[in-house]
Amino acid sequence: MIKGLFDGKRWSALLAAFPEYYIPGFLMTLKISLVGLAVALALGVVFGMFSSSKWKLLKIISRIYVEFIQNTPLALQVMCYYSVLPMLFSSSGFRIPKFVLGVIGVGVYHGAYISEVIRTGIEAIPKGQSEAASSQGFSYLETMYHIILPQTIKIIMPPLANQALNLVKNTSILAMVAGMDLMYFTDSWGADRGYFAQAYFTSAVMYFIICFPLARLARYLEIRSMRLPVAKTLDIQADEEAAC
Amino acid sequence: MMKKMLSLALTFAMAATLTACGSKAPETTAAPADTKAAGSSAEATTAAGGAAKDVQKIVDRGVLKVGCKSDIPKFSLQNTATGQYEGFEDDLAYEIAGSIFGCSAAEAKEKKLVEFQGVTAKTRGPLLENGEIDLVIATFTITPERKETYNFSTPYYTDAVGLLVNKDSGIKSIENLDGKIIGVAQSSTTKDGFKKYVDEKGLKVNPQFQEFDGYPALAQALATKQIDCFSVDRAILAGYVNDGNQILEDRFAEQDYGVAAAKDNTGLAEAVEKKVTSMLSDGSMKKLQDQWGLQ
Repeated sequence: MIKGLFDGKRWSALLAAFPEYYIPGFLMTLKISLVGLAVALALGVVFGMFSSSKWKLLKIISRIYVEFIQNTPLALQVMCYYSVLPMLFSSSGFRIPKFVLGVIGVGVYHGAYISEVIRTGIEAIPKGQSEAASSQGFSYLETMYHIILPQTIKIIMPPLANQALNLVKNTSILAMVAGMDLMYFTDSWGADRGYFAQAYFTSAVMYFIICFPLARLARYLEIRSMRLPVAKTLDIQADEEAAC
Repeated sequence: MMKKMLSLALTFAMAATLTACGSKAPETTAAPADTKAAGSSAEATTAAGGAAKDVQKIVDRGVLKVGCKSDIPKFSLQNTATGQYEGFEDDLAYEIAGSIFGCSAAEAKEKKLVEFQGVTAKTRGPLLENGEIDLVIATFTITPERKETYNFSTPYYTDAVGLLVNKDSGIKSIENLDGKIIGVAQSSTTKDGFKKYVDEKGLKVNPQFQEFDGYPALAQALATKQIDCFSVDRAILAGYVNDGNQILEDRFAEQDYGVAAAKDNTGLAEAVEKKVTSMLSDGSMKKLQDQWGLQ
């Protein structure tokens, strides 16, 4: 496999195939990653709050979702969305677009993990905080929005970043069902010419290009969430001066 | 600042290890090969016939490693009960092993001189290149591009691509495939063949192609109607016909299967070439094909 890694001819073949294979693959993976991440975050926040809410029914719904998704392989889930889900709509060959398939696949899968991350984050905040909030007349959603969630952010940021990165990498499972993503085109070109070393190396670099900034962003947000809020005291001073 | 320096240093260290892996592997494999080559070439000149060093290596090892498909009826199918590989291509492997070890094919089979390894369209190339297997006899189509990467023998079989469709899809001929999705196998030459055939016939058929890894995945996609048509070599297609689907009349992209050896193994390629051409000229290849029910 490593043989011919530095063969100039093979690299120039890759360069020639780059616009046709790697660019559309990269864009597809990027699109699926971004929209998938948004879906996963939305599902994660909703179900994370469900499982830490006081209503039993919501808790049960959330538990079923999380346990079912966490304990089955992603490959199987994607296969299911690909071949079984369309049959529910019609038997005459309804097809889910590959982009939607990818978004549902990684979105639902990582949504379950993120909801667990958020649940543990919420549970890490001492109960006294929400009790104090409700004693001040905050509703459940207000308590969450103003008091609990801002504090959980710095706790959940590292595991959340983990999930985001895994989500990007897991989009590669779509290659299995001809998902037109980066991995699909990598396999396609690599197998076509037999230049696997070049194909996979380039693909790895392109996944890195998506993942690395995401990891840096997560780190930045984590550091920022740890800073103490200073701006507000200034506002109060200004108000006081105006009052004088 | 400190942190930045550290992360930079780490990145370099990682890059270094990566390239180290890249450059080290060929060196280590090359070194013993060279010393052996010097030794065995001296032996080879003294030995009668003067076998090439790569063939000598196989003789010394006592077994010929061949990559064959494990899922194609008549060509090469792994018997699930015994684990044995059975088919036309496997018998061809025994014939070649016989000629290398200087015995008959039946003896080669009896003495287990061939070690089979199941390969797919995707794995056969890398396995051959890194020396895991000596030969690929796995419905490997000869193309000009592949000839640059591998050593091919004279074609031992000519096949054409066929189209498998669901009976209830209403697709009766190639013209109905316009705008439909055709599933093909990765690293297959089906796509180019289809376009050429359509152009030659002057038809306006413009389907979409999707590639899958392995034939079972394709068969499953067809069964669940995620693709309209499953198009690979007819030899392979024959294994997936059932009550619900049918192969269309159209056949195109006649393609030649060759035995492939790694580019460096010129001696082995020569030995294979000699055996294949002799089998073609004395009619034993035809006999072998008839024996397995191939046209």
